[in-house]
Amino acid sequence: MDSLSQRQAEAITALSGPEAAARPAAGGLVPGDVITGGSLDRGGADEGAGGGGAGRRVRALLRRPTFVISALIVVLWVVAALGWRLFGLDPYGNSGQALAAPSWSQPFGTDELGRSVFARTLAGADTALAVGPLGAILATVLGGALGVIAGYFRGWVDTALMRVFDVLVVLPPLIFLIVLVSAFGASVPALIIIIGAVFAPGIARIVRAAVLAEMGKKYVTTARLQGESPLRIMVTELAPNVAPTIVVQATLSLSSAILMTATLSFLGLGQQPPSPDWGLAINQNLDFIETAWWTVIFPALAVASLVVAVQLIADNLKETWS
Amino acid sequence: MTVLNPRQGAAGAAPGRGLGALSERHSRILTLLGRRLIQIPFVLLAVSILTFWLIQLVPGDPGRNALGQYATQAQVHAWDVSNGLTGSVVVRYLHWLGGFFAGNWGTSFVYVVPSRPLILGHLENSAFLGLYAFILLVPVSLILGSIQAYREGKRSDRAITIAAMTLSSVPEFVVGVLLLVVFAVWLKAVPVQSGADAVGDFGQRVHAMTLPAVVLAFSYLAVVARMVRTGTVGAITAPFHRTAVLKGLPPGEIVRRHVARNALIPTVQLLGIYLGGLLGGSAVVETLFNYPGLGALMVVAAERKDAVLLTDGVMVTGVIALLALLLTDVCLILMDPRIRFENTES
Repeated sequence: MDSLSQRQAEAITALSGPEAAARPAAGGLVPGDVITGGSLDRGGADEGAGGGGAGRRVRALLRRPTFVISALIVVLWVVAALGWRLFGLDPYGNSGQALAAPSWSQPFGTDELGRSVFARTLAGADTALAVGPLGAILATVLGGALGVIAGYFRGWVDTALMRVFDVLVVLPPLIFLIVLVSAFGASVPALIIIIGAVFAPGIARIVRAAVLAEMGKKYVTTARLQGESPLRIMVTELAPNVAPTIVVQATLSLSSAILMTATLSFLGLGQQPPSPDWGLAINQNLDFIETAWWTVIFPALAVASLVVAVQLIADNLKETWS
Repeated sequence: MTVLNPRQGAAGAAPGRGLGALSERHSRILTLLGRRLIQIPFVLLAVSILTFWLIQLVPGDPGRNALGQYATQAQVHAWDVSNGLTGSVVVRYLHWLGGFFAGNWGTSFVYVVPSRPLILGHLENSAFLGLYAFILLVPVSLILGSIQAYREGKRSDRAITIAAMTLSSVPEFVVGVLLLVVFAVWLKAVPVQSGADAVGDFGQRVHAMTLPAVVLAFSYLAVVARMVRTGTVGAITAPFHRTAVLKGLPPGEIVRRHVARNALIPTVQLLGIYLGGLLGGSAVVETLFNYPGLGALMVVAAERKDAVLLTDGVMVTGVIALLALLLTDVCLILMDPRIRFENTES
């Protein structure tokens, strides 16, 4: 579970405090740290990159088979999420045969209520993608803003923000998430805000490191000497230069957000029956695993394919942009 | 040759020699541990305030739930008073905090038993499972990571990276389900539910826990193996390694004295954090295998809105995580005599 490891690894820096911060970053091993290291090196190269650079990056991405395959998988699930109603799929209706094995008429078989596992698996993309993207955007905007602010002002603003984040990363993220869901409920808007809040500190930390590396560059000094306001410098000078870091983090947090919402549903704390949500489907059908494996395996493969595809897209972005 | 070998790969980097340097080092270690020991209560206090305040927002009327619908309003009120559920948030928080330190953790709303033995019992199960996973994780990731480092850039290096990354990014419950189907349903090698055998003898318990422990270990494998790989690559490309090779040390000696001690420092640091998470219990794996651990207990507490159990359980998880970090510090100091903690942040 990459998202967990990533956030827990942040606790290295968090809990060992400033003293030990140098070591894990120098190792550059945990997903988060790799990005920190990469963005530090990249700062200079990006300074002069214009519109041509963006086109070159996209072409470089399209030459990577893992990126193309992952992007296709994501597109497939987005189409399923938006279009399952148009395809005439019925994830709730009883077909008359309970726990039927996969066949021509029921490609993925049926569950204990005779519902089509195929229809439910495609419709499950809907709830899987309902929370993740908006939650990831919220986390990125919030974390990116806090990271830029901490990196730009440094001093007590930075210290105060980092100490708050230190406290937030002590708890394993899932436990934190469980507490938040019990407090605020698991409706889609609540989950979006919760995911945003849980992932923002990690993003802030990484963006802050990237901004700190940019702060020494001449363009920042020049902007300051020209009397530009801090807000203007942060928005028009710093933000574009750390944008690659932010985009990679946004993609990684999207993968984590999809995983986390599926995990909450699996634990029975997210979507409730009769929702066709993948995590919930695995939870509900676990009792039938010995007699009707298809009720569990197909939703499991669906959630795995989406999470891994988004993760691979993030990896590819990271590699081509650094 | 070995006689002439300097004591450590980087002994020259140690500040001075003799007693003076030693005492300086000791004082630094004491400062470091002292700072951590001072830091822990503050972080814990902040965590407890945050947790307590959040759980106050959990909807529900615990007194009414515990006593049932036939209790009078006065009885419910009396129950609330005896459980410290009246007064302002600050008063309730102090009541709970005092009780927590005094060993009186309150009564679980759902199970209607004192929460302390309940949580500690589940924690013991979780710690057992976590330790098992840890024992599986460490040697496998060391072997994979060092194979990768010595074959850096070759096909086996990439193959291991891809396999481990795939295993780790697939959700735990998916890996668990796939392994369950293969090993429990098709091969019938292990029971489908691990919790049922938790009362059996030690051998049975370990047998039933193997699948959950493997799933747990898988989820950390990629990151730890990557850490070992990078640390080892760093050590074997360092000048001191070349020196050791060129002066003709036997390979075993080089690995033991020069590579391992330097390569494993970041790995130990990472493992320390994971140990905290592993011992505190994994909600997903425990729920999947129906294992009676702390993570699964927290899920039940969240589902049934058991504020007492949630607050105490989260605190215990925080304590475990912080203790694991303290243990990591001690390990790092013991491992690396020249360890330095600079006051510079990246």
